[in-house]
Amino acid sequence: MPLVRRAAYRTSMFVAALALVVVIWETYKALGPADGGTLLGVRILPRTSEYAMPHVWDMFSRFNRPEVRGSDRSVFDAVLAGAWYSFRLSAAGFVMGGVVGVGLAVLMARFKLVQRGVLPYLVVSQTVPLIALAPLVVSWGGKLEVGPFVWPRWLSASVLGAFLAFFPIAVGTLRGLAAASAASVELMQSYAASWTKTLFKLRFPTAVPYMVPAFRLGASASVIGVVVAEISTGLRGGIGRLIIEYAREATGDPAKVYTAIFGAAALGLTMAGVVIAVDVFVMRNRPKESVS
Amino acid sequence: MSAVSIRNASKVFNLGKSNQVDALRNVSLDVKPGEFVSLIGPSGCGKSTLLRLIANLLEPTNGDVVVNDKPAAQARLDQDYGMAFQQAGLFEWRTVRKNIELPLELKGWDKNARALRANEMLQLVQLPEFGDHYPWQLSGGMQQRIAIARALAAHPPLLLMDEPFGALDEMTREYMQGELLRICAATRTTVVFVTHSIPEAVYLSNRVVVMSPRPGRITKVVDVSLGGERNEDTRNRTVFFEAITAVREGLRGMHAAHVGLGNDDR
Repeated sequence: MPLVRRAAYRTSMFVAALALVVVIWETYKALGPADGGTLLGVRILPRTSEYAMPHVWDMFSRFNRPEVRGSDRSVFDAVLAGAWYSFRLSAAGFVMGGVVGVGLAVLMARFKLVQRGVLPYLVVSQTVPLIALAPLVVSWGGKLEVGPFVWPRWLSASVLGAFLAFFPIAVGTLRGLAAASAASVELMQSYAASWTKTLFKLRFPTAVPYMVPAFRLGASASVIGVVVAEISTGLRGGIGRLIIEYAREATGDPAKVYTAIFGAAALGLTMAGVVIAVDVFVMRNRPKESVS
Repeated sequence: MSAVSIRNASKVFNLGKSNQVDALRNVSLDVKPGEFVSLIGPSGCGKSTLLRLIANLLEPTNGDVVVNDKPAAQARLDQDYGMAFQQAGLFEWRTVRKNIELPLELKGWDKNARALRANEMLQLVQLPEFGDHYPWQLSGGMQQRIAIARALAAHPPLLLMDEPFGALDEMTREYMQGELLRICAATRTTVVFVTHSIPEAVYLSNRVVVMSPRPGRITKVVDVSLGGERNEDTRNRTVFFEAITAVREGLRGMHAAHVGLGNDDR
């Protein structure tokens, strides 16, 4: 079973890479100068003190202890709750970004004029710093009230996640929709198939190998968008907020902030993992083709 | 009545621009029902363009194309023909059976009727046990047989083929030629067949249409009097060689003229 062996190989490489990071961290901490290194008064090497570089095992053992002194809630529970909250926001952002991205790609594939008009703006949209956009979205959202619908605060974070996620999805899907061979398009024409029929019977299936990596990028982009939005809009409950809160305690409790960072990393991996699982499922009967 | 009737058809690409190409000029051709006609000629002679005019994948700049006694556009809408290309072009995400069912799906057939017809077509191309395989699990020749099954699934009266065996090795190619004749005889399908290969054109056809480039036109039509029954012995018959020579002379005549004029042959 080469598939199983490849999966095992990949997993072991992933673990080995993680172990390597731990080894480098601890080696430097053991051997590096406690005060860091300075050259002409500029610090070029980090300090290795407990405050600057806590031991890896301290970071992990911090998970087990209470979040604040005297509290019943452990850091692990707090990080898990925060990551779960952010996960739901990211998932919402990812779905919105997916719908918008695929919708735009279909419009651009259908109408060359739309593609020429819209594509440059999509590229430009991604150069706007998210931090600048976040307060705008919050204030626009705050003014939005349609009947009984009131814009919840968390929706701003999801929208910002969607804002980052839609772009790779739109571009990847567009490439995929254009990837159908000339002969297969002629074949559909010879059957007098409508554009919509051709889209669903030919173009979307052809696009799948292009859409999968695009969605993977979109999933992690959505996580980044949500975490950054939580931080810059001060939204409570998510992992982004925890990172900020824990970082403030870094002088007294340096290992704590790393627990939140691990939580954010696990969140990103989980999102990517979900997409990979979908990938394996939809591509199960297709030849292993390479799309560059 | 004729299966295909082309009257003074011309096709000009990029009309009025600096890169204008006369792909076809004043081509007239009639194909009778049940006839097997090959189009042969060097690259750029417009044989694929002519096939696409019949298929209504291209509109002629001038002239008329009538298929099955109706305008080519209507014939396409009615799926009066099936088409096969050099690349089998099977959809890799569909099983062999689902590939054959594709034209039937687009015609709106119900599931049971589709399954019945797919089985019938799998029998016809003698690959009944491969229905649930995926295309990439099949050899090139098998894929091409499935492509023919797909083209004929809706029982169209006309089959249009654009160098369908061009990517196959010689052994498979000769086998496929025999298969194609058997299938066409069984289904009484009219065929218009584009090829580069002189023996292939002669072996398969009732008539071989020789075309020449710049502008694309018909220079010679060779009648092949090999009769209906053709088998491996056919390839050794004198009539076979005579027809090959006739086609070759048709091709060579214009080739010499072109070399004489100093034209390249792309």
